[in-house]
Amino acid sequence: MSGYIASLVSVIGINMILALSLNIITGFCGQVSLGHAAFYGIGAYTAAYLSKLGVPLALTLPAGAAMAGLIGIVVGLTSLRVRHDFLAVTTMGIGFVFLGFVRKQKWLGAELGISGIPAPGLDPLVYALLIVAIAGLIIVFCVWTKRSWMGFAFDAVADDEDAARTVGINVPVYKLTAFGIGTALAGLAGGLYVYFARIILPDTFDFVQSIAILTMVVIGGSGSVWGVVASTIALTLLPEVSRAASDYRLLIFGAMLILVMRFSPGGLAAWARRYLARRQAA
Amino acid sequence: MYFVELAVKGLVYGCMYAMMAVGLTLVYGLLRILHIAHAGVFALGAFVAVIVANTTGSLALGFVLATAVSAILGVAIYRFAYQPLLAHPPFVPMIVSIGIFIVLQEGFRMVFGAYGIAFDTNPWYVSTVELAGVRLNQVEVAMVIASIVLLVGFGLFASLTRAGIGWRATVTDPQMATSFGVDPIRVRYLNFIFGSGLAGIAGALVGLLNNYVEPTMGGLVSYKALAIIVLGGLGSVRGTLIASLILGVVESYGTIYLADVFDRDAIGFLFLIVVLMMRPQGLLGRG
Amino acid sequence: MQKSLVAAALAAGLLFAGSAAAQIKIGFHAPQSGPAAADGKSSTIGAEIARDWINEKGGVLGQKIELVIYDDQNKPDQAVPIANKLIGQDKVVATVSGSYSAPTRAAAAVFQTAGIPYFSAYGVHPDITSGGNFAFRGVTLGPPQGKGAAKFIADKWPKAKVSVLTMNNDFGQSIADGFKEEAPKRGLTLIKEYTFGLGERQFGPIIASVKNDNPDVIYAIGYYFVGGPLVAQLRAGGLKQPIVAAQAFDSMKLMEIAKDAAEGVFVVGGMDRQRATPPDLQPFETEFKKRAGYDAEAVAANCYSAVMLMADAIKRAGSTDPKKIREALAATKDFPMLTGKLGYFNSVGEMYMPLEVTVVKGGTFQGAAVIDDTAILAPPGK
Repeated sequence: MSGYIASLVSVIGINMILALSLNIITGFCGQVSLGHAAFYGIGAYTAAYLSKLGVPLALTLPAGAAMAGLIGIVVGLTSLRVRHDFLAVTTMGIGFVFLGFVRKQKWLGAELGISGIPAPGLDPLVYALLIVAIAGLIIVFCVWTKRSWMGFAFDAVADDEDAARTVGINVPVYKLTAFGIGTALAGLAGGLYVYFARIILPDTFDFVQSIAILTMVVIGGSGSVWGVVASTIALTLLPEVSRAASDYRLLIFGAMLILVMRFSPGGLAAWARRYLARRQAA
Repeated sequence: MYFVELAVKGLVYGCMYAMMAVGLTLVYGLLRILHIAHAGVFALGAFVAVIVANTTGSLALGFVLATAVSAILGVAIYRFAYQPLLAHPPFVPMIVSIGIFIVLQEGFRMVFGAYGIAFDTNPWYVSTVELAGVRLNQVEVAMVIASIVLLVGFGLFASLTRAGIGWRATVTDPQMATSFGVDPIRVRYLNFIFGSGLAGIAGALVGLLNNYVEPTMGGLVSYKALAIIVLGGLGSVRGTLIASLILGVVESYGTIYLADVFDRDAIGFLFLIVVLMMRPQGLLGRG
Repeated sequence: MQKSLVAAALAAGLLFAGSAAAQIKIGFHAPQSGPAAADGKSSTIGAEIARDWINEKGGVLGQKIELVIYDDQNKPDQAVPIANKLIGQDKVVATVSGSYSAPTRAAAAVFQTAGIPYFSAYGVHPDITSGGNFAFRGVTLGPPQGKGAAKFIADKWPKAKVSVLTMNNDFGQSIADGFKEEAPKRGLTLIKEYTFGLGERQFGPIIASVKNDNPDVIYAIGYYFVGGPLVAQLRAGGLKQPIVAAQAFDSMKLMEIAKDAAEGVFVVGGMDRQRATPPDLQPFETEFKKRAGYDAEAVAANCYSAVMLMADAIKRAGSTDPKKIREALAATKDFPMLTGKLGYFNSVGEMYMPLEVTVVKGGTFQGAAVIDDTAILAPPGK
């Protein structure tokens, strides 16, 4: 039974890191990214490739994060050229280009992906706790960021880029920072995933995965740290506790997207805030 | 002949993309929303066509109903999902659109079965027409003709009729148009009826062309259509048409010559990214 | 009155407890939702038919079989928790995977550590069995299938020039690799290889290129939903060469889509639907059609046979001890699967089975040849 709980906790942890990382780019800094799974993939492929060469986990994880962050900054350069809808489609394109490239490279396993990845060398429960610890650190980082000067700058950029520029905020630098941090963390999640599943195939990092991550952010409340944390846990656990939710999983997914955005575009966080405000007023 | 054939096939696919993309660009031009659920409208058209054709034996009836049902779905999506959210930033209706697409796709799978449906009698798709050494089957020809007719028709409508001019005015300057007495709601309905009906016809034609209608058929075409409308300059119908044809041809050659390096589906997006970095407003967009 | 009620309740309770305890649990996972749901449904129904028929005949070792079924959505991050759940919570004695390669490979690692026999009904990734000796596979790997195709083509059309059309996924690539390795050894010339994605339905550029190449034989590797349109478009494009296809073409849907264009297409690794052996093939097809509403797919047949084989192994083991079941599985000899006779398992759990070649005739798959060549088909040991 503990094996089951450990594996479930691991999945929640990885999803949470992914959602929080996208939250930094899209939620904090307002840059729509529909291709986030590509960075998850870059981190995963980097870590997997190195791990098969014998590099230990303590090095492959940072390597994956670094690679994803580096490429993330390059991709972030596109956000300096295009905005909003154009950016949305461009980032979607990045996701497809990553996939299309990776599935053709023989040295990355092409269609067969990378398998036979060594075990993390840790007890599954310990590994799960490691993931949770990392996720916890990231939560702390996000909360700190929100209150920091960087968070203020992100917010200004998200709100109105041109106005932010006029008050002296170096918009390009902050955009690239957001992309760099967000994608690096996604790459870290990728590395953690590699040791969990021990096989990666190109299709794991497709557009559907990007949308899944976006969903967790959006339902939680784009920009809200605790909202995203809550929605990730809820969305991952729901199919486990409800058989009906499991069978109609995707339908419920889509329905939640529609209902949440239709009636509470700020996500669960906004709904919670309104609820608490009503309670206080009453 | 070989290279000509590649180009001709590319143009045919371009027409297919155009029929999808025009609907998307119409919605964007009017409402600034990325109507991702359009893929579901496309697939619904295909399902209606195949089921009606297989049950009644009449392909024509299938097409008529496909157009009608798709148009209705498109308008319903506007009325219940987009209209209430117009005050919010465009991010919000786009997410709702994604949700609608997911629900539609799953819905198709549950209602029509996870395995796709083929047309029982598909009289056109095996018999072919030979034009200057290039073999095209009749459905491909029908697709080219349909897209030309419909888009030229729309162009005439937009420049010559009262309603069409009103539509164009609303896209360019909504407030001015309203002050001249153009009803914005009617314009929007017209927009969705035409764009969605077009997608429904496209879906039926593609279903006929492949002789296979499946729940996920909207996805890939839709993503490419999104790339196309951005490439063509969001909101520009002419730009969309040109971009569709270019993408069709680029993909056609890319499939053969870039196959070792890139997946076919990635080629279109790669092209898009390269162009956007050089011209952020798209090929024909106005900055 | 109360006493007899209590007695009745006790008796009922004992009966329930009794029957609950007397059940052998076998785990089963398949992609029941999402894009792969079609195969997930077929797999599940196939497995359920096996379970029901086994239980109708009295079960195994005097107990009924219970299939503990989960939906893995074709994702490794779902398969790993499911594997853990099956082991820790449901306490299965063995598991069958009715799913694709990635989730199967991920779950295999978990089952190996726990010492539970694990059977991949149709997942073809080579690494599924490389994690240890508790993983077995009931379908021929890609490379031997490709080699078998090379032999079939070379025997029928000596010294032919071949164009290869292959789908972009692990199955397609591994079959193509096997073919490309064996073909030159048999005097075949490979003109060019073209690839396409799983979402592709329009093959205009590829067909124009193949026409340009003018091969003697076309070898197509893909699932029916790409194969159907591909074959139809090849014929419509004026290409009259014989088409040899890989196992993935095998589905009655192929003929629904391609109609007459499918006539004469050979499928290496297909399943002859008309066969009288094994005796449960025809009844299986009928029962499957009744339950599912469509004709049986190969994945369904594979899962049916997987469950049958597992039950047989338990019977031979004479116990529900997972280690003994594993040994019985490994010792399997000449077991009749619906797809052919499973000769034996090699040291890494790969099976030897002659490759059946079918041909589409009169709108159905008919037997054309059988390739029984240990040199080609012998599963690779690692």
